[in-house]
Amino acid sequence: MSSVGAWFKTYLLQIIVLILVLVSMYGLNPNFHVESSIERLIPLGVIAAGLAVTMIAGEFDLSIASMAAFSGAVAVALSGLGLLVSVIIAIVVGILLGMLQGWAIAKLGINSLVFTVGTLILLRGMTWLVCNGLAIRVDDITATDMFKVKIGFLTSLSIAGLVVIIGLGIFLSRTRWGRELYALGGGRHEAIAAGVRYNRGMIVAFGISGGCGALGGALVSAKGGSADPSALGVMLVAALSAVLVGGISLAGGRGTMVSAFLGFAIIAMLSAGRAGLGTKAFVSELFIGLLLLVVVLFDYFLSFVSERDRRNKLRKLAAAAA
Amino acid sequence: MTITEKISLRLQDQSGLRRRTDTIRTWALPILIVLVFVLASAFVPEFFKFETIRSILLLTSITGIVAVGMTAITLSGNLFSLGVTASAVFSGVIYIWVGQGTGNMFIAAAVAIVAAVVIGLIQGFIVGLGLNTVIVTLAAGSIIYGLTAILTKGEVVQAQGVSLEGFGTFQIFGIPLPIYIFVIFTAVAWFLTEHTLIGRNVHLLGSNKNTARSSGISPMGTTIWAFTAFSLSIGIAAVLQASQMHQIQADNLPGLTMDVVAAVLVGGTAVTGGDGSPIKSAIGALFIATITQVMVLMSIPEGQRYFVLGVVVVALVVVLHLLRKAGTR
Repeated sequence: MSSVGAWFKTYLLQIIVLILVLVSMYGLNPNFHVESSIERLIPLGVIAAGLAVTMIAGEFDLSIASMAAFSGAVAVALSGLGLLVSVIIAIVVGILLGMLQGWAIAKLGINSLVFTVGTLILLRGMTWLVCNGLAIRVDDITATDMFKVKIGFLTSLSIAGLVVIIGLGIFLSRTRWGRELYALGGGRHEAIAAGVRYNRGMIVAFGISGGCGALGGALVSAKGGSADPSALGVMLVAALSAVLVGGISLAGGRGTMVSAFLGFAIIAMLSAGRAGLGTKAFVSELFIGLLLLVVVLFDYFLSFVSERDRRNKLRKLAAAAA
Repeated sequence: MTITEKISLRLQDQSGLRRRTDTIRTWALPILIVLVFVLASAFVPEFFKFETIRSILLLTSITGIVAVGMTAITLSGNLFSLGVTASAVFSGVIYIWVGQGTGNMFIAAAVAIVAAVVIGLIQGFIVGLGLNTVIVTLAAGSIIYGLTAILTKGEVVQAQGVSLEGFGTFQIFGIPLPIYIFVIFTAVAWFLTEHTLIGRNVHLLGSNKNTARSSGISPMGTTIWAFTAFSLSIGIAAVLQASQMHQIQADNLPGLTMDVVAAVLVGGTAVTGGDGSPIKSAIGALFIATITQVMVLMSIPEGQRYFVLGVVVVALVVVLHLLRKAGTR
C-alpha cells in the first residue's frame, strides 16, 4: 500500500493535470477520442522517451529531432529494399550514430548541449543530402499498408513504439546499466568515484536517444510513406515540453519512463483536443507553452517551500542545542 | 631547487601555455575568415566584389546583432535563449502595426523595441529566480508564438500606404544602415561587458555563481541586465528585419534561434559562462554568413550547404573546446 501511495505522490501533479486536460477536452468537445490522439502522436512519445533518457543521465540531446528527420529520410530513400528492412536499417543507423555521438561527448569531455547544437545542424544537412533537397515518397504506396494494420485501436507501428517505451522503463529501473544512468545524472563525480563507467554511460544514453529519435522519425515516414527534409523540427520543442511537463528534471537523475509517458499523454491530449475543436495549431502551442511555464514555476515553488521548511527546522534545532 | 621554486616555475609554465592557447582561441576564427576570403577571392568568380561583401555583411547584421545580445546571457552563465524567433517576430509585427497606425517609423521602432524589452525582462525575472533558461525561454517562445499567431490570425502582416522600409534600405556611402547598426551595437556591447561594472558582474556571475553571490553581486539583478541587453538586440533586429521585408508572418524566421546559437558557439564563448566576448559572437556570425555566401556563389545546393555548415560548426566547437581544456589544465 505504501508503495502505491508513494507512486501516486510522485506523479500527483501530472495526474491532476492530465485529468484536468481530459475533462476540459471532453467538456469542450463531446466527440473527443482519446485513443486516436494517442495513436497519432506515438512518434512524439518515442522521441520524448529518448530525450528523457539523456536528461536522466544529466545530459541533453538537442539533435534528436534532426535524427528523426534523418532516419525518416533514410527509411524512405531505401524503401526499394522493402519498407520493413529500410525502417530497421534507419533505426540501426540511428543507434550507431547516437552511440558515436555519446562516445565523442565522453571522450572530448564536452558539454552535450554544445555538441548536439552542432549535430542538430549536421544531421539536418545529412537529411537534405539524403532527400536531395526535395520531399521524397515511397515508390510502392501499398508498402505502407502493413503498418496500418490495427490491433485493438493501435496500429502495429504504434505498438512497437509503446513496447520500446515500456522496455526502456524496465531497462532504466531494473537493470544495472539503467541505474548507472541515474547515478551519472544525480551525482556524476560520486558515481564515477564509485566505479560507474562514464564513457559507457554516455554511449548507452546517446545510443538510446539516437535509436528513439530514429524510431520516431521512421514511424512517421513509414505511416505517411514520405519524408520531407525540413520536417519534424517542431518535435524537439514538443518532446521537450512533454518530458518537462512530465516532471523529469533538467538537472539529471530524476524522473522515470512513467513521468515521460504522463507528460507525453498531457501534450498529446492537448494537441488532439485542439485539432478536434478545429482551431489552429498555434492555439495548442500557446497552451503547451503556458502549461510548461506553470509546471516549472510550480515545481520551483514546491522546492522553495521545502527548502524553507528545512532551514526553519535546522534553525530550531540549532536554537534548541544552544 | 627548492619546492617553492619548482612550483612557481610550474605555474609560470602553465600560465605560458594558457596564454598561448588563449591567443590561438582569439585569433583562430579571424584568421579562418581571412583565409576563406582569400581563397574565395582567388577561386570563386564574382566573390571579390563590393556587392558580394556588402551582401555578406547585410546577411550577418541581423543574426549578428542578436548573437551579440545573446552573448550577455551566455556570459552570465545562463546558457542560451531558445525563444529568439518568437520574440523577434512578435516585435516585428508590433513595428508594422504601430507604423501603420501612426505612419511614423521612429515611433514604431521605439514601441517595437520596448515591447521586446518588456518580454525579455519578464523572462529575465523568472530566470533570475533560479529557473533554467532553456526551459523558460522555450516555454515563453511557445506562448509568444501562439499569441502572435492568434493576434495576426496566422496571416501575413503588411504595411499598406506607409513607408516603413527606411531602417532596412537607408544607405550611407552605399552601405545599408543595418551594417552600421550591427557594428555600433557590437562596439557598445563590447564596451559594456569589458569596461563597466555591469559587464564585470555578468562575467563574474558566469564564472562562479556562488562566489559572485558571496561577494555581493546580485544574481537576479545581473541576470535581468543580461536579458535586457539580449531583448534590446532582438527588438533592433526585428525592426531591421521587418523594414527589409516590409511584411512579417508568425511563421517567419524559423532558423534564427539556431543561427544565433551557432554564431555564439562558433565564436568561442563558453556555454558554461564567464568566458567570451560579444566581438567573438559577431565574428562567429560573420564567419557563418561568409561560408554560406561562398557556397551560394559556387551554386552548391541548399542541402549540401546545410551539411557543410553542420560539419564546420561541429568541428569548430570541438577544436575550441579542446583548446580551452588545454589552456585550463
